Amino acid sequence: MGTFRTNQNNANIHKLNTLISTVIVIFLLNLSLQIWLLYTALNYALEDNAQIATIAFIGSLVIFIICLGFLYYLPTGKPAENDH
Amino acid sequence: MASKEENNKKKWKQDFPYHKQNSDLVNRREFAKMLTFVSGGLTFGTGLVAAKANLFPKKKVVGEHLICAKSEVPIGGTRSFTLKDSDIPYILVHLENGTFRAYEQKCTHLSCSVYYEPGTGHIICPCHKGVFDANDGAVLAGPPPRKLPKLSVIERDGSIYIAAEEEKSTI
Ligand code: FES
Repeated sequence: MGTFRTNQNNANIHKLNTLISTVIVIFLLNLSLQIWLLYTALNYALEDNAQIATIAFIGSLVIFIICLGFLYYLPTGKPAENDH
Repeated sequence: MASKEENNKKKWKQDFPYHKQNSDLVNRREFAKMLTFVSGGLTFGTGLVAAKANLFPKKKVVGEHLICAKSEVPIGGTRSFTLKDSDIPYILVHLENGTFRAYEQKCTHLSCSVYYEPGTGHIICPCHKGVFDANDGAVLAGPPPRKLPKLSVIERDGSIYIAAEEEKSTI
């Protein structure tokens, strides 16, 4: 492997930190959206407005899939130097 | 203090090849996975609500039901009633303008029992001071999120009948 990645990592040692914090903030935002959707679904589905519950469920599902997708971007940490 | 490079060469370091950053990130990875799990849980919960709403909708009132004679409820008066095969309490209100209205007596906030305040045109929930319009059930004040569910009132031959409301929107 070239040294590009290593040099980048050395130039910005907080990169992984920033990345994972960002991902976690996005997760938290997604979760608050989902809580809001659940709350709305509960409020309206109780009274004959089943479409709202269905749409809220679809929204929630999409957000969950996005969350799953973001797991892929979680940094695993710097590979140990003596691994190479 | 031993430098990082020196430490890396030590035997113990080779036996326990941990790096501070790695272990920090691993914890936050776990946290992120936990958040995803919670997200799945919320999706599941919303799914349950949607399934319940679509597959087991609230039973509609079918047909007309005789409640009482018109003369039994004076102007400004009310009468509570339930329907056969259902335990939902309803309230019949004789408004000051002479018309009758029937609503579910359960507040849409936390299901406290509401009452009509004679002379004001307001249906009041005593629990958290929710106020509904006695004319159409709309929320005028307080925490209730939805209108009071309404029944339609039919006056015929001096008697009051109720039936399910036609098209209804509770938003
Ligand atoms: S229960 Fe009626 S206002 Fe809260």
